[in-house]
Amino acid sequence: MKTLLEVRNLTKIFKIYENNLDRLKEVFTKKIYHKEFVANRNITFFLYERETLGIIGLNGAGKSTLLKLIAGVLDPTSGEIVRKGRVTALLELGTGFNSELTGRENIFLNGTLIGMSEREIKRKLQDIIEFSELGEYIDEPINTYSSGMKMRLAFSIAIYSEPEILIVDEALAVGDAHFQQKCTRALRERKKKAMGIIYVSHDLNSLKLLCDRLFLLHKGEIIKEGSPEEVINSYNFLIAKLNEKEEKVIKKQNSFGTFDAKITDVKIVGEDSKGSVISSGEKAKIFVKIEAYKDISGVTVGIAIRDKFGQDIFGTNTYYHDILVDLKRDKKYVCVFESVMNVGVGKYTITSALHTNENHIEKCFHWIDNACEFEIAGFKGKPFVGLCRLEPKIEIKELKDE
Amino acid sequence: MLRNLLLAFSFAKRDLKDRYVGMSFGELWYVISPLIMIFIYTVIFSNFMKMKLNIAQSQYAYSIYLVPGLLAWSSFSTLLNRVAMVFLEKAELLKKINVPAYSFMISVLIVEFLLFCISMLLGVGFLIIIDYPISWDFLYLLPVMLLQSLFAFFLGVILALFVPFFKDLKEIIPVFLQLWFWITPIVYVKEMIYDRFPYAVDYNIAYTFISFYQNLFLHSEAKGWDGILVLGIVTLILAFLSAYLYKKMVPVIKDII
Repeated sequence: MKTLLEVRNLTKIFKIYENNLDRLKEVFTKKIYHKEFVANRNITFFLYERETLGIIGLNGAGKSTLLKLIAGVLDPTSGEIVRKGRVTALLELGTGFNSELTGRENIFLNGTLIGMSEREIKRKLQDIIEFSELGEYIDEPINTYSSGMKMRLAFSIAIYSEPEILIVDEALAVGDAHFQQKCTRALRERKKKAMGIIYVSHDLNSLKLLCDRLFLLHKGEIIKEGSPEEVINSYNFLIAKLNEKEEKVIKKQNSFGTFDAKITDVKIVGEDSKGSVISSGEKAKIFVKIEAYKDISGVTVGIAIRDKFGQDIFGTNTYYHDILVDLKRDKKYVCVFESVMNVGVGKYTITSALHTNENHIEKCFHWIDNACEFEIAGFKGKPFVGLCRLEPKIEIKELKDE
Repeated sequence: MLRNLLLAFSFAKRDLKDRYVGMSFGELWYVISPLIMIFIYTVIFSNFMKMKLNIAQSQYAYSIYLVPGLLAWSSFSTLLNRVAMVFLEKAELLKKINVPAYSFMISVLIVEFLLFCISMLLGVGFLIIIDYPISWDFLYLLPVMLLQSLFAFFLGVILALFVPFFKDLKEIIPVFLQLWFWITPIVYVKEMIYDRFPYAVDYNIAYTFISFYQNLFLHSEAKGWDGILVLGIVTLILAFLSAYLYKKMVPVIKDII
């Protein structure tokens, strides 16, 4: 396969100085005035034709620096980058727009900046305007545009500049669902025409959807490279480790009760991901740790899963499962709820409670809201839309005329 | 390289087009502003202040002396200052799009040189209107104007490279240009200061081209070639120096803007 981009042993070190005078002195003298910050270390990868390469990593992992190096906005400290064709980067939206000019004039301005000739822009003008769906607004000054409109214009110009390498940094996140889908479609079509895409996002779902290959950047280095599935799992594992370090401090304000017994920790772990980002359809365990300060019998341990709007998606407790829990003073317990996560993609929280009988109305020992967060991203098994996975049997038969 | 030069030209075109966007007179302003300047100096200084020089026999003598110097200085200082501010003004673009800073610098050079030509043409037009003699020596205007613009350009590039390190330069450069303007015999004549401050004339590189234009306008005669030669050599040195510094400093500047 033909490569479009070859990056070899790329290292970028930012030098940190006390002041700019020291920085200037170092340009001209041999003396060292700086401390070093390594943003990218020894990065080697190739981008092939018709490929979408995704980059993930935690904040500060060096993703943006790497993109800027590839785009040529920054110069590497060492290593080499071979670009075989035009690189267009959507690094930040609204770049190269003059807000006093109209959308149409900005197509010329921005197009020139990213390397299109005047004739080329004229030829593509109508397509760009059509794709952006700005309609008559194209002749209004940009400063009347919403951020979504600016994004649409920027993306349309970028995609019609027909670069060999397109760099997309979180840009798609701004548009509405309709335009996002249109962009995704357009990117897929362009890919067929020998374009390569480098895509950076925190949206795991879109990464899985768009990318052929992913790599995980951590502290400036590539620590994992492979199929989206694999790499996202390692990424989730990384997040899980990070969360462990932070040691969930349970806040007072969202918890109440008599505190005869307390929930000390709530945690969810996916069977495959080993972390709190779980595929829909993957088995996961929810651990509720309890500490008792009195002897109590007939305790119910409950959990409720809520979506990002605070809506209860599912809740259950030991009472419904006919399990009666007796707690002994000064003893610790862990209650494990194991289930296949048959819910739709999105972010969820877990609320947990200790009480008597069916619900907390009679006597509540401890109730804690949002004790733990988790995310469902991607699918194990058949994909679906919506909140819950029904498992329909589908049959199709030809109807005989009666 | 060629692509980036072409880019400079299209930036220049864009700059000229966009500058007066949304104004009713549009591109006419390129002519209106220098015209107004010439008008003010001729009317005010010649008619109201009755200032006459003993260097030429015309009621417009002072204006004829003043106009070329002012036009040249205004182009010189605008060009220098605009080039020097490129890294500050284009930071947002340079951070996100891979366009070399020199494309923007060259586009400023092109635009300002064009505007300089227009204003100088109006200056010559003024001579014709008041029926003051001109000669073929006026053809020397163009190369000297180009040299002056290149001198301002390379000086501007060198300053531009230091601006990101010392943001104060943004304020210092205009002040410095203002001072330079007043120590150069533009609004007053050389004889008024030569006895007391001969170095303000003898070692003033800007006076080489300013006096050239003044002579040409007053006496229709191109002279002061020694000075122009010095200007040429200095410009050449600045060109090499700026290229060397540009290569060395731009990678560092990219990190800090």
